[in-house]
Amino acid sequence: MLNEIINSIIIFAHTVIEYAPKFFPGVVMTLQLSFLSILLGTVFGLIATMLKMTKIKAIVKAIDLYISIVRGTPLLLQLIFIFQALPQIGIRFSPFVSAIIGLAFHNGAYISEIFRGAIDSIDYGQKEAARSLGMTKWQAMKRVTLPQAFKRSVPALGNQFIIAIKDSSLASVITITETLMLTRQYTSATFNPWPMFFIAGFYYMVITTVLSKGLLRLEKRLKVYER
Amino acid sequence: MIEIKNLHKYFGKLQVLKGIDMKVEEGQVVCMIGSSGSGKSTLLRCINYLERKNKGEIWIDGKLVKEKEKNINEIRQQVGMVFQRFNLFPHRTALENVMEGPITVKKEEVSHAKEKALALLDKVGLSDKAHQYPAMLSGGQQQRVAIARTLAMEPKVVLFDEPTSALDPELVGEVLSVMKDLAKEGMTMVIVTHEMRFAKDVADQVIFLNEGVIAEEGTPKEIFENPKHERLKAFLGQIQF
Repeated sequence: MLNEIINSIIIFAHTVIEYAPKFFPGVVMTLQLSFLSILLGTVFGLIATMLKMTKIKAIVKAIDLYISIVRGTPLLLQLIFIFQALPQIGIRFSPFVSAIIGLAFHNGAYISEIFRGAIDSIDYGQKEAARSLGMTKWQAMKRVTLPQAFKRSVPALGNQFIIAIKDSSLASVITITETLMLTRQYTSATFNPWPMFFIAGFYYMVITTVLSKGLLRLEKRLKVYER
Repeated sequence: MIEIKNLHKYFGKLQVLKGIDMKVEEGQVVCMIGSSGSGKSTLLRCINYLERKNKGEIWIDGKLVKEKEKNINEIRQQVGMVFQRFNLFPHRTALENVMEGPITVKKEEVSHAKEKALALLDKVGLSDKAHQYPAMLSGGQQQRVAIARTLAMEPKVVLFDEPTSALDPELVGEVLSVMKDLAKEGMTMVIVTHEMRFAKDVADQVIFLNEGVIAEEGTPKEIFENPKHERLKAFLGQIQF
């Protein structure tokens, strides 16, 4: 009995060690998807926030529509839509580009809400002080509001970035060979799901842990001017 | 220096200012007193367009202020403002706070702006705090930095919106003494205050606002020693100084 348990642990460990390096291409893909979707998502989010601040009605409405569509439908649906439905009207992207567009648009909507909340949270007196020095709206935004808002948005942004990493696994359904896709392929090839899911989970944990540690350090560095 | 003609201001349906006429001459210190809700802060904020007036004219330095963005930004460079809650930029040191206006708005060279800012911090007695962030400073120190920040723009007038009301009692004196020095130098100042002793000592003119109108105005002697308006008598009776 004891022998059997020890034996199966050894086999498990052996499989893990054997297959862990075989996941590298998938992990690299996960990292690429995450990095690009976070980067572009942040850019989209910033643009959406800025556009909303123009207070031009049509633009604000359009941005609100974008945010409510992204938030109101599943990411999985959005990805499959870009990959399968858009080609029907002649818009065709490679699987990788489809995944990046889908993930970045999705993150952008959430990130713009994070920025908006952070900007709104800055004391009104800050803007008044800046304006009373003769700054234009844009100067006050750039020099006074945004630096403080950025700092305040870091914890929520970090949260969204971690979600983005995990969400990248959904790209597997549109034929992207990332970590989850490889996990399922190796599982069907070996009929041995346990070690495969263990490896995949381990890699995700490593990526998200490194990111959260980095974000925590950033938060601390940004706190220098607080008591 | 400042001339206000028939100024009206509404917040929604509530009329806060009901036709204000006043004049501030160059080098004058004008204190505005009145109970809360009398419209004194609103009047002050209308002067540099933090509140938009609904009717009336504001003349600054002999020129009628036009309500265009560009115009207003120029006016604000000449009309400094010190706030009740200091409103220092928390992400910048005391020195950087003072340098911010000259560098961003006036495009002054950093070295020049820094020299000037250090001199101003010295003037308000805070040269040793130049590299501290606002969170490390006491309320009185923060307000003195805020005054230096305003002076860095070399304004022709400084507006003070209850500059000592958010301070602990023992910190009021240091801010008032900086303001007294400024008055002695001939700075034109409009001050909304509850510090009656200060108004009595420093003001050239005192304005008593009541329910959106100037109920009484005159020299400190006239206002404090011989008040005529019933509301002013009642108001002064409630305050000990």
